[in-house]
Amino acid sequence: MSQALIKVRQAKKVYQMGEEQVWALKGVDLDIQQGEFVAIMGSSGSGKSTMMNLLGCLDIASEGSISLDGVELSKLSKNELATIRNQRIGFVFQQFNLLPRTTALDNVTLPLLYSQVPESEWPARASSCLQKVGLGSRMDHHPSQLSGGQQQRVAIARALVNEPVMILADEPTGALDTQTGLEVMTLFQELNQQGKTIILVTHEPDIAQFASRKLIFRDGELVADEVNPSPKLASQMQL
Amino acid sequence: MKIFILLRTAITALRVNLLRSFLTMLGIIIGVSAVIIMVAMGAGAQQQVDEQIKSLGGNVFFVTGSFRSSGGARASSVVKINEDDANLIEKQVSGVEAAAPYLSANGQVVYGNLNWSTEIVGIDNRYFVVRDWDINSGREFSTQEINSGAKVAIIGERIKTELFGASEPIGQTVRVKNFNVTVVGVLSEKGQDARGEDQDDVILMPIKTVRNKITGIDSTNPKSVRFIQVSAYDGEDMDYIEEEMTLLLRQRMRIPVGSDDLFRIRNVSEMIATRAETMQVFNTLLAWVASVSLVVGGIGIMNIMLVSVTERTREIGLRMAVGAKPADILRQFLIESIVLCGLGGAIGVLIAYGFVYLGNNYGIGAGGVINTDVVLLSIGFSALIGIFFGYYPALKASRLEPIDALRYE
Repeated sequence: MSQALIKVRQAKKVYQMGEEQVWALKGVDLDIQQGEFVAIMGSSGSGKSTMMNLLGCLDIASEGSISLDGVELSKLSKNELATIRNQRIGFVFQQFNLLPRTTALDNVTLPLLYSQVPESEWPARASSCLQKVGLGSRMDHHPSQLSGGQQQRVAIARALVNEPVMILADEPTGALDTQTGLEVMTLFQELNQQGKTIILVTHEPDIAQFASRKLIFRDGELVADEVNPSPKLASQMQL
Repeated sequence: MKIFILLRTAITALRVNLLRSFLTMLGIIIGVSAVIIMVAMGAGAQQQVDEQIKSLGGNVFFVTGSFRSSGGARASSVVKINEDDANLIEKQVSGVEAAAPYLSANGQVVYGNLNWSTEIVGIDNRYFVVRDWDINSGREFSTQEINSGAKVAIIGERIKTELFGASEPIGQTVRVKNFNVTVVGVLSEKGQDARGEDQDDVILMPIKTVRNKITGIDSTNPKSVRFIQVSAYDGEDMDYIEEEMTLLLRQRMRIPVGSDDLFRIRNVSEMIATRAETMQVFNTLLAWVASVSLVVGGIGIMNIMLVSVTERTREIGLRMAVGAKPADILRQFLIESIVLCGLGGAIGVLIAYGFVYLGNNYGIGAGGVINTDVVLLSIGFSALIGIFFGYYPALKASRLEPIDALRYE
């Protein structure tokens, strides 16, 4: 692990709010290694969402540099950022963000539409990802026919379908009850065991304790970077 | 991305709001069907005119007598032209193929216990040349029959059907007014004329027979006719022939220079063509109005696509997050509006076909001739409207920032 997967150097982000300039990030330094399970914590306005957007290539830092696998993100065009999002990052959102009136299988296939993967491989890839999250029997279901936990698992399958190097999860348990949240966390821990880098944004300390590393943001600065040598196993906490 | 997937995505999106999609398409449907119907009606009218001109026998003039005016007031007496005028025109005016005299009256034709009211027409054999009309069975009149005013007749197809049905009319005797005539021929079928009258509802007899037995002889002008039908050879200068005929008839009637003609020459093909042109102008105007409705339909599509882009901002954000490039989003929404317009166009074409079919076969609505070019053009044009009016909303969608789009509530 000599070469960090993510290198953040003096990253700053400024937003223009009318006349006023608001610094959402005030210079953050950070390395994340391949295979880590990182929880980003902080209250609202702490800069954790901004950090996540920058790491997810959804936005570009105003100053400083962020590199992913040695690629400097600030120099990339919109199209190149889209390709990185497609190939290297899997997103999981709080509100699942599935396409309504579209089957689970088609939802999982969505990132493949924008990839170079030949169309003939799409169904096999998408269904194997759904099987991986335990929804092999519900491929033809629409989101409205699935529970919240199942919907989030479809979203995770979607995040996995292009075999990304990391998964970015933004409050993935925020819309779920405790039990279902634990199921989702179990899934993340399993994926991490298999080598996926996982970055999780949350404000719940209970959820953060499943990660092996905890980054705490406050007022646009990284104030704590704690390694958790023995993270709790979500699978053992289920009722 | 493959076009099939794009199409499927578009159709899925349009099916979500089925009623809205249909209402949006309605503008295009109405526009396209109206354009095609208007053009079809124009083409139908033109075809009818061509057929009428053809059934008249090409380049034809009608020469009739006119009112004699005395001191500016029109007298009631009509100057009649006669068979000699016809002979003279045929002989003296170059380019004239034939000049046929024509007399007619209405009357009953009786065969057995059937009778039929029809037009009784007196002619000689030049009539067949002028009208470009063939005898289907039997023969023309002989010179002897024409000169003597023999009681012979050639009947139209309609009379044959009405009086004889399937049996053979030639050699049979029918009663016209109060005398018997022998049927010697049957005309080929000609159909309707310019005014929609059945041209096959006619019985032809030598002009002398009709004059002696039916219309009566005008003592001041014993060889008078109702009109002379003059045909010119193909490619002849019709205006020149008209001038020559005018000069000839003025000379013959000794009309002094400066006085009005005592006859009228009408170029029928030209009259029909002029009327057709007026109709054509009218139809073109309507087609333009219809195209305006296409454009209005296009604006409706733009409106709905803008609404759709706003409604689906989160979807756009998600697609961008999972790797859609701005161009992918642009294409997706553009295809959606093209599908909307193309589908509307196709439905419009079907409606136009149905409308014209009903018009042609059942007389409901208006008949016409649908031109394939116009159909392809309208579908192409409506797809173009889809591109034109769909481009701005699609561009707007593609320019969204992924984070803003994802957070949109």
